Amino acid sequence: MTTVLSARDLVKDFDGIRAVDGVSLELAAGDRVALLGPNGAGKTTTLLMLLGAIDPDAGTIDLVGRRLPRYRSQAMADVGFVAGYLPLPQHLRVVEALEYFAGLYGMRRPRPAIGEALERFRISDLADRRCERLSSGQRTLVGICKAVLARPRLVVLDEPTASLDPDVAHRAREGLRALSVDEGTALLVTSHHMLEVERLCERVAFMSAGRIVAEGSPTDVAAQFDQADLEGVFLELAGTNRIDPEHPRFDPAEQT
Amino acid sequence: MSLTTDSPVRILAVARRHLIVIKRVPFRLFDILLWPIVDVVLYGSIGAFVTEQSRAAGRSSATYMLSGIMLFHFLYQTQVANSTAFLEETWSRNLLNVVTTPVTEWEYAAGMAITGLLKVVLGIGMVAIAGLLLFSFNLFHLGLALIPIAASLMIMGWAMSLFVIGLVLRFGQAAEAWTWGILFLVMPLSGVFYPTSALPGALRPVAKALPTTYAFAAARRILDGGATPWSDIGLALAGGVVSVGLGIWFLGRMLATFRRRGFVTRFS
Repeated sequence: MTTVLSARDLVKDFDGIRAVDGVSLELAAGDRVALLGPNGAGKTTTLLMLLGAIDPDAGTIDLVGRRLPRYRSQAMADVGFVAGYLPLPQHLRVVEALEYFAGLYGMRRPRPAIGEALERFRISDLADRRCERLSSGQRTLVGICKAVLARPRLVVLDEPTASLDPDVAHRAREGLRALSVDEGTALLVTSHHMLEVERLCERVAFMSAGRIVAEGSPTDVAAQFDQADLEGVFLELAGTNRIDPEHPRFDPAEQT
Repeated sequence: MSLTTDSPVRILAVARRHLIVIKRVPFRLFDILLWPIVDVVLYGSIGAFVTEQSRAAGRSSATYMLSGIMLFHFLYQTQVANSTAFLEETWSRNLLNVVTTPVTEWEYAAGMAITGLLKVVLGIGMVAIAGLLLFSFNLFHLGLALIPIAASLMIMGWAMSLFVIGLVLRFGQAAEAWTWGILFLVMPLSGVFYPTSALPGALRPVAKALPTTYAFAAARRILDGGATPWSDIGLALAGGVVSVGLGIWFLGRMLATFRRRGFVTRFS
């Protein structure tokens, strides 16, 4: 399988505090991988480094065969990103916002792709709604449409279903799974919903204190920690991730 | 700073996005349509009053005031248009969405420039019409020299917006106040309404260092009936180009800090 993401030995310090400590991660086409861990484990910093939004202090990132940060623009043409906590551009209708992002991806005639994406996630009725008037769940679904618009080879999803009702979350999950299976799109997901992760992802990487401490299938990882499921692993790690005053953890997302 | 075949599509996408915002949010038009008229009325009236009080001097203060404020709007509209186009992404908390697409910083800047140019045309149109209708003052009395003088001020506005955007990237939204504040720092020091010889002695060297000073001085010389001072105009243009170079360098440094220190999370 073609490698779409290869990150090696990533390190990131903020003000002398280590947020990410030697993280390595590989994704091949069609992989569905979850990056998990308690708050402050370094997930967001890792994701933002993989997306080229933060430069690592050490380590290398090859995204769809292109080295960051030098070839960030070319690499991002094949990468989609959505975060459940991010709003969409104010004052634009959904279709205008999607046209805007399609333009940023260099798409010349994006209307058919926009229609297809809205249809895939069953939100065609939102096309003419103003972005700031969407519910958080609708906004997330539009965000997912934005992420898959340019038929990327990798989609990075940060807490994609945090604000979704179970039925809408199911719809989003099925749409993403179909994208991965049908088109070989790799998915890298962070989530605090362990059940959702078990349903969507075939591989998980658990982070704690800036490091990946376990990696494998959900059942293998649960077995490594002597737990029945990922929820148990999460609780185990959260319990052992207490702040050590001499070695505090730092997550820039919690700084704001 | 490389361009690809996709660059025009990305640049136009950025421009179109900001034009839609202008269309949808009438308050954003105040900078373009309302405040220019207020400025013309304010400074034109002050000038008319001072002229009436000192007719013996044989010089029209109203002309200085009106030409000054109209030319100042080339600087103001360019700087504010470019800075607020970027701030629109921070106000929408949309910056992370943008930096995770293929668009490069320079493609984004070019898209902002297109929107900015349109705003400048509208804003200047308003001040020119207001000056003509309210005070019978025609900015085109400056003749062909108006073109390089206006261009130098727009180039400086562009340079100043690069500095402001750099400050916002580095220091967060607290630095937004500089979008308007920097203009009111430059306005008195550039001698928009008066020769810089009227400034306190300690500030004159600062005025001399500003390219905008030479643009306003050149305009006054022409309005006084003198020959077109091409050397002043040349200094204004050259200074503007150097300032843009410094602005690009500064913004590049601030972007590097922004990426190194993870400041993108401030805007999300």
